[in-house]
Amino acid sequence: MDDLKHLGLVLIGIFVAFTVVMTMVAYTVLAERRVLGFIQGRLGPNRVGPGGFLQPLADLIKFIFKEDIVPDKSTRFVYFLAPLIATIAAIMVIVVYPFGPAVRIPFVTEPVQLVIARFDVALLYVLGVTSVGVYGIALAGWSSNNKYSLMGGLRSSAQMISYELALGLALIGVILQSGTLDLYSIVEQQAGHLGITGWNLICAQPLGFLIYLTAAIAETNRVPFDLPEAETELVAGFHTEYSAMKFALFFLAEYVNMFTVSMLATTLFLGGWAGPFVHQVPYLGIFYFFGKVILFLFFYIWLRGTLPRFRFDQLMSFGWKYLMPFALFNIVLTATLQWSGALDKLGNLLKTPAGWWG
Amino acid sequence: MTAVLFILFAGLAIGCAISMVVQRNPLYSAISLIGVFISLACLYVMLAAPFIAAVQVIVYAGAIMVLVVFVIMLLNVEEEDRQPLRLRALVPIAVILAAIFFAETAFIIYFVQASPVSLSRNVSDVGLTSSIGGGLFTTYLLPFEITSILLLMAIVGAMTLARSGGLLPSRAAVVPGDQVFSKEMMDRREAGDLTPVVTHTTEEAAELLGARDERTK
Repeated sequence: MDDLKHLGLVLIGIFVAFTVVMTMVAYTVLAERRVLGFIQGRLGPNRVGPGGFLQPLADLIKFIFKEDIVPDKSTRFVYFLAPLIATIAAIMVIVVYPFGPAVRIPFVTEPVQLVIARFDVALLYVLGVTSVGVYGIALAGWSSNNKYSLMGGLRSSAQMISYELALGLALIGVILQSGTLDLYSIVEQQAGHLGITGWNLICAQPLGFLIYLTAAIAETNRVPFDLPEAETELVAGFHTEYSAMKFALFFLAEYVNMFTVSMLATTLFLGGWAGPFVHQVPYLGIFYFFGKVILFLFFYIWLRGTLPRFRFDQLMSFGWKYLMPFALFNIVLTATLQWSGALDKLGNLLKTPAGWWG
Repeated sequence: MTAVLFILFAGLAIGCAISMVVQRNPLYSAISLIGVFISLACLYVMLAAPFIAAVQVIVYAGAIMVLVVFVIMLLNVEEEDRQPLRLRALVPIAVILAAIFFAETAFIIYFVQASPVSLSRNVSDVGLTSSIGGGLFTTYLLPFEITSILLLMAIVGAMTLARSGGLLPSRAAVVPGDQVFSKEMMDRREAGDLTPVVTHTTEEAAELLGARDERTK
């Protein structure tokens, strides 16, 4: 009976999280187009529904009814497989994020933690599934039988593999500090008395945060690191030959990746659902969590409206020659501080209101 | 429940493994191998070893196989033709080895069932990250460090092999417009001399190589 209840909760959790995240992803696309419009001194799509509110629906219908063109000399099986791999790998990551603290929900006696799957190696799971997502892009580039696609696929695989290292190393600082890979525990440790002062961003990880943020933008192939689809050089990169729903899947994967990367940044550095008064009103945690995620998404869009694109050799040398050494330095720094006990002192000082005010 | 999942993933692993051997397109073989690695990771999770499972996906499916796929994509390997079987003498040996393998498996299954050993202590935390880390950095510190040095040597070795055309000194950077040649290319008498010569313009390079066109004068 207990097992069945647990399974039911998990299924409901997956359904709710999937729906919420997909809806938010759809509206991220709309927000991106509107915000970019305002940044560039125009209006953006505002015709479908009030203020363009139904635009995502219109886009979806358009994608479904477009003609689906398959290149004659493509490798059929791989060509169909690639967008599936990209999308599935992107969506699979959602299950490990804690969306909120333990709350009471109807029909369940004990408080339920708002995380679908809580397990020992959650952070490694995220890294593993993300690294599988590379295949989607690499295989799409290869199977299209198009030189631009192949170049885009190769570029993006090289880029994602290179920046995955810096990304993983940036996370090690947080792991050292919290001593666990379980995301829920990491968030719980950051929820101090005030809800803000315990964040890892403030507690000795600002360098790790900056490195993570940079590497994450490169991981998701966004401006200024969007070399895989540099349209001035590669037409549209790895998805040049993809049309209709298959293109929509790549599009979806990109935005879901953006979303999950923002969720990871929120969870690890900005305290996840932690915030003022969360201990009194647990439901506030959900709003804090998604609020922080939306801040990150806005930051992404803002960057896209502001920065020009890197050159490929600049991108590579930046990743390997600057980001990696800085990430290694961050590990040594964190380990030293941890060993000397300075981190604990700082954490106690920041977490207790007495230390904060006096 | 567990049995169903085990059969699912074990079947998937075996199916992918067979497909890897049978496929004629090397890229399909590579994809099948990724399938094998991922199903094995799922089996590790069921064996209460989540850390190994995650590392399996990150290292094998995520890093090593990406390199393999890269190579296949870059070389654009064609579908292999079925060659007539050479070394026919190996067929009976293969059959014998397979028979031994099956015998071993049957032996293990039989004796494990014949003598059920009650596990003496709680093993559920053996596969967790902290216990693996604790083991690696205390009991097995020396093997761990030796392995990391071995990996470092492998990296250096790969670099050396890849650049065996002559390691350029750090000053001989290749920048757009500048070109670096070895002395050997300039003058046939200097065979084997790989010391670099830097030229700053294409014309200069052409003159040094003796390929200067009369019209460019």
